[in-house]
Amino acid sequence: MKTLTILLLVVLLSLLPLFAGKYILYMTIHILLLSLFSLGFNLLFGFTGLLSFGQAGFYAVGAYACAKILLSVPSLLLGILGGVVMAGVISFLLGLLSIRHTRIYFSMLTLCFGMMIFSLAWKWRDMTGGDDGLVGIPRAPLEIPGLWKINIATMESYYYVVLVSSLLAIYIFYRLVNSPLGLTLQGIRDSETRAACVGISVRNYRLISFTIAGLYAGLAGALLPPLENTVAPTVAHWSHSAEPVLATLLGGIYSFAGPIVGSFLFYIIKDIIVRFTEYWLICLGVIVLVLVLGFRGGVASIFYGKGGRE
Amino acid sequence: MKMKEIIRTEGLAKYFGEMAAVHEVNLTLQEGLFSSIIGPNGAGKTTLINLLSGYLLPDAGRIFFREADVTRTPPHKRVKMGISRSFQIMNIFPRLTVFQNILLPVLSRLNKNSRPFSALKNNKEAVEETEKILNEVWLWEEKDSPAGKLSHGGQRFLELGIAVAANPQLCFLDEPSSGMNPIERVNVLELVKKLSGERKTTFAIVEHDMDVVFSISDWIVVMNRGEILAEGKPEDIRNNREVRDIYLGEEI
Repeated sequence: MKTLTILLLVVLLSLLPLFAGKYILYMTIHILLLSLFSLGFNLLFGFTGLLSFGQAGFYAVGAYACAKILLSVPSLLLGILGGVVMAGVISFLLGLLSIRHTRIYFSMLTLCFGMMIFSLAWKWRDMTGGDDGLVGIPRAPLEIPGLWKINIATMESYYYVVLVSSLLAIYIFYRLVNSPLGLTLQGIRDSETRAACVGISVRNYRLISFTIAGLYAGLAGALLPPLENTVAPTVAHWSHSAEPVLATLLGGIYSFAGPIVGSFLFYIIKDIIVRFTEYWLICLGVIVLVLVLGFRGGVASIFYGKGGRE
Repeated sequence: MKMKEIIRTEGLAKYFGEMAAVHEVNLTLQEGLFSSIIGPNGAGKTTLINLLSGYLLPDAGRIFFREADVTRTPPHKRVKMGISRSFQIMNIFPRLTVFQNILLPVLSRLNKNSRPFSALKNNKEAVEETEKILNEVWLWEEKDSPAGKLSHGGQRFLELGIAVAANPQLCFLDEPSSGMNPIERVNVLELVKKLSGERKTTFAIVEHDMDVVFSISDWIVVMNRGEILAEGKPEDIRNNREVRDIYLGEEI
């Protein structure tokens, strides 16, 4: 049943360009990006027990690094890989400092680091273009020089690039959380003292979790510039860090698929409400509030039958 | 039987402000002797275990585990060296299943818990060992329920299972029977005794039930006000005047 649902979903997503217009494709790409972003965030939050408010910083590192590469070398593969690696390196380095603390102190530290990256993007005009951002980023072809080259200038073909990378990343994430590593992180979430007293180096595993979260944020970020052809500093702003928090709360923090379901709902709710009122965030806030009060496990928990208070 | 020390402290001390929780403690535990640490509330028993397991760092003194100085070794490294423990206040992984609660320390002992992609059930060695331990602590029936949903007694058995899953050479149990009813209490302590016979583990427990302590221990350490008041075989402790004084009115 579960396998069938997933299969149907994948088929539906693969065939989407046949019957959906540009706008739907554009939306779907954004939903996929937010899903990756939120999955990474939730590895830290739901699986390791650390609430980060600075994930947009790593998203921005991925986006800017990819944009800079594409502006000088027109190779999509290089751009995306560069963005992911750069975000991984930065999150590893900032992770070394952040994971020294937990709970609210960790959240505040990540918020600060996120805003530092935002300031850099905003002020370092020579590198980032300042408040104008970077413009004219090409949707460069996907190629391995001398071997193989695909033109992906159209929205349809770029959609497939995003879809394939997302499905791959989601599959890897699934394997990850169901592996010994995933179990170890959940153990740390449940009780860090007990985890330490069964021989687990809590600090090392938190750092691994933080770095993986950064890699996923970086991947989501790196896939953005070729879509929009621009990057602006707002992607690093703390309000952007709130998106995966909201999406994860909507979908459910303790389930694997929660952040994906939440990202879908986030965009649907936004798209519907924004037609009626510019204050769509208030409505979204109320929905999240109701979910947090009534269904702590998020929307996903309603279907798994684990809803309600604990 | 030839004696061999497993852990030794020299002038171990821990102060909380002005209060000496543990003061100038020179303790030696022998391998293979089932030891109990007893004493009135606030005697420093739990603090001593916290120091020996690395959960707290001492203000003075040194700790040697089989000749290796482990005074400042962090807890997760002490577990790898062979020192494990349970907690007085329940400390399990409440959101994981009972099975996963045991699987995690087993994987950790086998140094397999950083594997990022292998499926949990494919770690045959770890799974088999987990199943064996679940049977030993009588939790097989509940293996798939979340640990947080177990009864209080069940959680205490699970805590014991987690402590022995590290397959330690030395295992501290801090009041393994606290909060249990009298039947469970006897069961859990008999289980500990059984485990100590079957495994190559030296147990040292903190326990309040004097009947049990005197019946199962090979060696008893009595603490009072952060210091060791007396130590010896059960019959020596039973006849010790000072010990009788601090347990005034209680038949020991």
